[in-house]
Amino acid sequence: MNSEKLKGNLDMLLLSVLASGPSHGYSIITRLRERSAGAFGLPEGTVYPALHRLEAAGLLDSTWETAAGRRRRMYRLTLTGQEALADQARQWRSFSGSVAMVIGGTA
Amino acid sequence: MSAGDPVEDYLDRLLLTLGGSPRQVRHTLAEVEAHLHDAVAEGMAAGLPASEAQAAAVARIGPAHAVTGRVAAFSRPSAALIRRTALAGALVGGVALVAVGVSGAISWLLASVGGGTFLTAPFPPGTYSRADCARWLAADPATRSCVRAMTYDHTGEVIAGSFAAGILGLLVLAAFWSMRRRWQDRGTLTALPAGSAEAVGVALAGLVMMVTVVTGIDAEMVQRGVGAGRPFSLAIAALGAVVFFAIRFRQAIRSRRRALIS
Repeated sequence: MNSEKLKGNLDMLLLSVLASGPSHGYSIITRLRERSAGAFGLPEGTVYPALHRLEAAGLLDSTWETAAGRRRRMYRLTLTGQEALADQARQWRSFSGSVAMVIGGTA
Repeated sequence: MSAGDPVEDYLDRLLLTLGGSPRQVRHTLAEVEAHLHDAVAEGMAAGLPASEAQAAAVARIGPAHAVTGRVAAFSRPSAALIRRTALAGALVGGVALVAVGVSGAISWLLASVGGGTFLTAPFPPGTYSRADCARWLAADPATRSCVRAMTYDHTGEVIAGSFAAGILGLLVLAAFWSMRRRWQDRGTLTALPAGSAEAVGVALAGLVMMVTVVTGIDAEMVQRGVGAGRPFSLAIAALGAVVFFAIRFRQAIRSRRRALIS
């Protein structure tokens, strides 16, 4: 998929992955890759500025935990993040449904 | 982790481009380090050799500026990058000044053999005053010719100026070696690609050599040798600088290759 299109929706995708439970950066990317069947080919590092931005906006919260001898930053959705995700998902479904109606009619 | 480990090198590069508070820098670095170690472990679990798993992990995470979220060119230069740039500048600048000093010695030899006008062209008639003449003749009482005294004066100025530059160059190089001993940390040493200062040195000295050779040939053909000695002196000294930087460049690349293999 075009990386610019993906970047525009990365925040919603990250919030969506974290809706299923707290996770650290590498695990978020792995889950994103698995749930998209490998369709999203962004450099993995690009999720970090997005996660930090979402945390600064109050949509995520993070804590440091140690697992298997390695310190990891665990991200979890805040209440504000849950509301933002629900809102963004609703907008996306409405938008993608409208686009599908248009291109479906010309296919 | 050995020197030349792609993961360690990546973290070094990332550290140089990360901005923000010290805590933000530490946290992001720790986060990305954990990420890379997870990716390497996954690659090795899939059967890749360690070196390939490390290279694949670095390739997948993308360039350092992807992690910082800023355009690479606008990233705030870190202290390590500033230190490494200062080292590179001191090396190139110091060698350039020493080369000017060496060119002064060559000029002195050429002036001894070919005479003062071979080194510096006298001013055209009408561009200097009687007072100038009197000053030049006063400095060279043995001669009665204003042009000869002027040439003698110019030659002395060129040679003295070159020697002064050479001494300044030696001081700059002494500062370079002192800084080099003090700044041995890996972050500083890897802030610029291996051999980059030497490559710049080869390019600059090569350019100076070409320009001065052309200038010297022009003086030789058009002015019948008048003033050709100075550009030829500079060209010879620049050739020495090219050889010096080329040898150091080769050593830097070999050393880098050895570090990657070990």
